[in-house]
Amino acid sequence: MNLRPSTVRPGKMAMLGVSGVLLAVLWHLGLADGPLLARGARNIGIFAQDLVPPDASVLPTVAGAMVETVEIAFAGTMLGFVGALPLALAANDTVSGRTAAGAVRMFLALVRTIPALLWAIVFVVAVGLGAGAGVLGLAMYSMGYMGKMFADAFDDIDPEVVEAVRGVGVGRLQLARFAILPETANAVLAQTLFVFEYNVRASSILGFVGAGGIGFYLLGYVQSLQYDALMMAILVTFAAVVVIDQASMRIRRRFLSVASHTATRS
Amino acid sequence: MPGVARVAPGVAVSVRDLWFSYRDAAPILRGVTFDARAGEMTVILGESGGGKTTLLRILKGLVMPLRGEIEILSSPLKRGLMGRLDPRVAYIPQQLGLIRSQSVVTNVLTGALARTGTLRSLLGLMPVEHTEEAEAILHMLGIGEKAALPVQTLSGGERQRVAIARSLMQHPTVILADEFVSQLDIVTSREIMSLARDVADRGVALVMTTHELDLAREFADRVIVLRDGAVALDSPAREVDEAALVKAIRG
Ligand SMILES: Nc1ncnc2c1ncn2[C@@H]1O[C@H](COP(=O)(O)OP(=O)(O)O)[C@@H](O)[C@H]1O
Ligand SMILES: [Mg+2]
Repeated sequence: MNLRPSTVRPGKMAMLGVSGVLLAVLWHLGLADGPLLARGARNIGIFAQDLVPPDASVLPTVAGAMVETVEIAFAGTMLGFVGALPLALAANDTVSGRTAAGAVRMFLALVRTIPALLWAIVFVVAVGLGAGAGVLGLAMYSMGYMGKMFADAFDDIDPEVVEAVRGVGVGRLQLARFAILPETANAVLAQTLFVFEYNVRASSILGFVGAGGIGFYLLGYVQSLQYDALMMAILVTFAAVVVIDQASMRIRRRFLSVASHTATRS
Repeated sequence: MPGVARVAPGVAVSVRDLWFSYRDAAPILRGVTFDARAGEMTVILGESGGGKTTLLRILKGLVMPLRGEIEILSSPLKRGLMGRLDPRVAYIPQQLGLIRSQSVVTNVLTGALARTGTLRSLLGLMPVEHTEEAEAILHMLGIGEKAALPVQTLSGGERQRVAIARSLMQHPTVILADEFVSQLDIVTSREIMSLARDVADRGVALVMTTHELDLAREFADRVIVLRDGAVALDSPAREVDEAALVKAIRG
C-alpha cells in the first residue's frame, strides 16, 4: 500500500490553505497595499532617527513612574493572592463539595475572561483616575488567574495524603490547613512570583487608561511626538522588567526545586 | 504504652456481606464477610487487583459499599458532621500519605486533629499534652530523636514508624495498613512487623494487607484470603501452611 499521498497531501493542503487565509486577512486589514508599506517603512526610518539619543532629562520622571508601576504590580498581585487562596480552596471538591466547588470554578473563569486592562477601565470609572484603579484592576484579574492556578495545584496533590489526613477525622478547614496547603506551599509561592513578573509587564500599560504608572508617559510621549523621551521611558521599562524577571525567576527555581523534591514518592 | 487504650478482647471490626463496584464495572467485592478482633493482627492476602486496597478504603469510610454492614465495636461505621470520618479507625495507605516537607512531629500531631478543636488547630495552638504524647510515642517507636526532622530526610523504615505514630495519636480501635511492609528490606520489615505486633498486643485490631506470606504466617494471628471478591480462606495463622495459602490465593 502506498501511504505517501494520503500522509503528505493533508499537510501541504493545510499549509496552502492557511497561507491563503493569511493573505486574504492581510488584504482585508489593508496591509496588502504596496504604497502604504513603502510609506510605513519611510516613516519608521524617520521615527527611528528621532528616538536617539534618548532624552535624559525625563529620566527622573519616568523612573518615578516606573517605581509606581512596580508598586501597582506588587499591590495588585498581593491583593489578588488574598482573594485567590480562599477561592481556590473553595474550588476544591474535597473541601467544599462538588456543587459549590463547581460554582466557584465558574466564578473564577468569569473573572479571568476580562483582561486586566478592561478591569482597570471599570475601576477608573468606579474610583477615578490613578494608581488605585490600576491596583484594583490588576488584583481582579490576578485573583481569577491565581485562583485557577492554585485550584489546579490543589487538585494535583497525592490523593493518599488527602485520604490519610481525612482518615484522621479532620474537618474540611483542617484538611486545607494540614494537608492541602503544606503540600502545595512551594508551588503556590512560585506561581505567585510568576504572576508578579507578569503583572509588572501588564501594569506598564495600565496608564493608557489612566490607571497609574509609566503607561501614562508612554502614551503621552507618543501623542506629543516626543520620541526621544519615549525612548527613555521604553529603556527604563525594559531595564525594570529584565531585572525583576531575572530576580524572580531565580527565587522561583529555588521553590520549584524544593517542590519537586518533596513530590518524589518514597 | 502511650496512645493505646486497652480494650476488652472481642470483635472490633465486623464486616458482613460487603459488595462493591467502581461505577459501572463488575463488582470486585462480592459478599465479603469476616471479623477482626481486638488485640489481634489480621492479615489480608490475595492477588494484585483482588480488591484489598478497596476493602480497606471502604472500612475507612472513604468509599461507600454497594451494600453490606460494617460495625466498629458493635456500632455501625458512620460519618460525622460535614463528612468527618471516624477517628477510631486509623488508616495507613500504601505510600503512607505523610506530608514530606513537614517535620516528623507535625505529621504525628495531625493524628490528634479530631480531638484538637477546629479553631485552636487552625491557629496552630496544639495542646502541650498532644505534643508530649506525640514525643512519647515517637520515643517508644525508636525515632524520638528524629522528631524535628522533615519526613523527606528519613529512611523507609523510619517513615513507616512515623505513619504508625500518627495512627496511634488517633487512639484507634482499628488500624488499617495497606501493603504494610512492601517497600522495606527484609530486616527492616521484620522490625516493623514486630512493632506492629506490640501495637496489636496492646488491644488494637490491626488489619493489614501484604504480599509477604512468610511474615504473615510468622507474625499474624489470623490470615484471610480474598479471591474473586469473596473470602476464600479465614483461619488462625498457625493452622495454615504455605502450600495451603498459595492454593487459596491462586485458586
Ligand atoms: N479508583 C478506581 N476506579 C476504578 N477502578 C479501580 C479504582 N481503584 C482500583 N480499581 C480497580 O479495582 C480492582 C481492585 O483494586 P485494588 O483494590 O487496588 O486491589 P489490590 O489492592 O488487591 O491490588 C482493580 O481491578 C483495580 O484496577
Ligand atoms: Mg493494593
